[in-house]
Amino acid sequence: MRIRATYKFCFFLIISITAVLIACNKFDTGYSNPDDEWRSGGKQTVFDQSSKAFGHPFPTLSETLERVHEVGDIQFEATFVSAPAQVNPGLGPIFNNVGCASCHIGDGRGKVPGAGETSVLMLFRISREGNDQHDGPNPVPGYGDQLQNRSNIGVQKEGDVEISYHDETFYFEDGTPYNLRFPTYKITNTYTSFPADVMLSPRVAAPVFGLGLLEAVSDADVLSRADENDSDGDGISGKPNYVWNFTTKSTTLGRFGWKANQPNLLQQVAAAYNQDIGITNAVFPNESTIGQPQYDGLSDDPELTDSILHSVEFYVKTLAVPGRRNVNDPVVQQGRQLFAGAGCDKCHIPSMRTAVNVAFPDVSNQLIHPYTDMLLHDMGDSLADHRPDYLASGNEWRTAPLWGIGLTQKVNGHNNFLHDGRARSLMEAIMWHGGEALHARNKVKAMTSDERNALIKFLESL
Amino acid sequence: MLRLKYLPLCLSIGAVTIFSCTKDDNNGEVDITALNTEILQHTASNVCAASYVDLSAKAGQLLTAVNTLNTTTTDGNLNTCRDLWKSIRQTWEKSEAWLFGPVDVDKIDPRIDTWPVDFNDLNTVLASSDELNEEYIASLNEDHDALRGFHPIEYLLWGQDGEKTASELTGREKEYLLALAQNLKTLADEVKTSWSGGYANLLATAGASGNTEYPSRKVAFEIIVDAMAGICDEVANGKMKDPFDAQDPNLEESPFAQNSITDFTNNITGIMEIYQGKFAEDGKGLEDLVRAYNLSLDNEIKTKHSTAIAALKAITVPFGEAILTKQSQVQTAMDKINDLATTLEEKLKPFVQQYGN
Repeated sequence: MRIRATYKFCFFLIISITAVLIACNKFDTGYSNPDDEWRSGGKQTVFDQSSKAFGHPFPTLSETLERVHEVGDIQFEATFVSAPAQVNPGLGPIFNNVGCASCHIGDGRGKVPGAGETSVLMLFRISREGNDQHDGPNPVPGYGDQLQNRSNIGVQKEGDVEISYHDETFYFEDGTPYNLRFPTYKITNTYTSFPADVMLSPRVAAPVFGLGLLEAVSDADVLSRADENDSDGDGISGKPNYVWNFTTKSTTLGRFGWKANQPNLLQQVAAAYNQDIGITNAVFPNESTIGQPQYDGLSDDPELTDSILHSVEFYVKTLAVPGRRNVNDPVVQQGRQLFAGAGCDKCHIPSMRTAVNVAFPDVSNQLIHPYTDMLLHDMGDSLADHRPDYLASGNEWRTAPLWGIGLTQKVNGHNNFLHDGRARSLMEAIMWHGGEALHARNKVKAMTSDERNALIKFLESL
Repeated sequence: MLRLKYLPLCLSIGAVTIFSCTKDDNNGEVDITALNTEILQHTASNVCAASYVDLSAKAGQLLTAVNTLNTTTTDGNLNTCRDLWKSIRQTWEKSEAWLFGPVDVDKIDPRIDTWPVDFNDLNTVLASSDELNEEYIASLNEDHDALRGFHPIEYLLWGQDGEKTASELTGREKEYLLALAQNLKTLADEVKTSWSGGYANLLATAGASGNTEYPSRKVAFEIIVDAMAGICDEVANGKMKDPFDAQDPNLEESPFAQNSITDFTNNITGIMEIYQGKFAEDGKGLEDLVRAYNLSLDNEIKTKHSTAIAALKAITVPFGEAILTKQSQVQTAMDKINDLATTLEEKLKPFVQQYGN
């Protein structure tokens, strides 16, 4: 009897110890499945490397939600016409383009105009010294904070922008030359006097896939990477932008846009409808032309129904991320090492995990590889637009996500990168990096031609 | 002895099993490389390039007819224009089953086929004192695509309710109509020239060294199959489903001419034409590759295709009315087109990935 009792006790003890061990074992954040690297968007990854690669819905969406995505897709593709009309009314009176997909072709990146062409897939933000009532950019009287360079027939557009470039030659440390093209922008054909002290910020249409996953990363996670005063002394700051949230009527963390000046996708979409296409909506119910002679005077606002606004928000929220190619290629692997070795990954953070979200399981708790920290960094004087946007200074830009960047040529037929598309290749984009990224850029500048090739091969595999 | 009794049975079962599982590897004398090359050559010349030659010719006929209408404005001449509009529309809608290459990259599609029409802007244009000629149309940048191409022409020829008479055509409308017809001819010529002047050759020589557009024959076949499946999706889940779900006839494309079901049918017809490699004249097509290796897939594609066409033809009233009163007919047609899309995406695409070398 005694012996049996001992066994029982031992058995109990073993079970207890095992249970305690399991219970105390913290989730291993370092754990990764060997296939994770391929799946840039976690379970919301699609493997398509064709020109349609950016346009797929999340593969896990339920049939009902996929239908909402499709409704949004159709609206995203729609061409708007001037009001009143039975189909897609509300274009203008002044605008930058006639629909979402007119700039975000294939849900991808806008091409910058060539010589003699007018800017269509990019736009220009404008402001003057000072702030508006929400500490955002100070609008230009008679123009607002965006230049609309198109108009309905019979309406005056605000003006045009002439773009010219000049090339300069630089050299890698091994003596190989490379060119960078420097843009100059000139406002012309303005409908009324245009103040001389206007600050101008060019912005190309950015890819719209994977945004729902970026939105699903918690504020705390984003802020954990912030190091505004560079207290760790690595030369990299990482500064959160705080911007006005028109829905909550409060200042919240900025995540989207080239300067992280939009807090969420709803506001991003609503602002684009309002400013880029001239479509008023629940978030921005006033025409961009209020107080200007172009104002249509129609009492048809908001021109967009809430259901359409939300379906388009849902559409961009649920666009899947293209999976990687050639991950196991030794050259790509070498490029990955070089990317980290140069310190690129200090801002272009490879991996993060979305927050748990029981209300929307499709974006919940996903290990994703966006290669961004969604924070602002000083990128140097050469890239600066010298136009502050909330807390972002004229030198600061948000780290652009790199996922899917290798498919730009396939989807959009060009390799124009950076906020104004000045870079004509991935390597040019790298060599434009300055400010906090100067150190990393110099490491690339010192690479051998084989190493540079490997680095680009890695980026192309994203 | 007992065992031996069953030996012949075992042997014959074994033999049947082995033979039935042996794939006919060399498959007669098919030279797959030669066949695939020929298919791509014929697809490029006999289907794609030929369709834009036809488009250009019909645009020329429409232009002539509009000129005649402008000088002799009779209902008879108006009807001639309408017939020619439907005729060129047929070519265009078929060609949407191969909507890749110059028509896509050079943005011919938005300039030629943007929908809806911007009535307000159109009225402003007509009421203005601007000279309305081809230069005017060409000067409209891409933000005014809603003022040019097929649908503004359709609107001017038929009127909002489809019952316009020749006497209702105003002088300004005639001026604009002529300018639109000239512009349509120019655009049709542009895409024709792009294909005949080099693009057809790119497709025909897929896989040749230095061909970055089509680095391999497989890529070319994938693009063709994607285009075929893409138009199914566009018709079933866009052109038809939008107005159907919204129960709103205003969302219908080609409403003035009541040509929507014809448009859809021509879209789906185009799929079979590129599959079989015949637009005007017959040649080698994807069909020949499929038939060499998988007769049942060929049969499935053709059956599903004819079922989809039949379902569209079975819609008994104009589309704008059908979405309200004949919903089961519309639903069936959408389902059958989606069935075809599934076969193209899930069977034909993997097939060309395997055999399209």
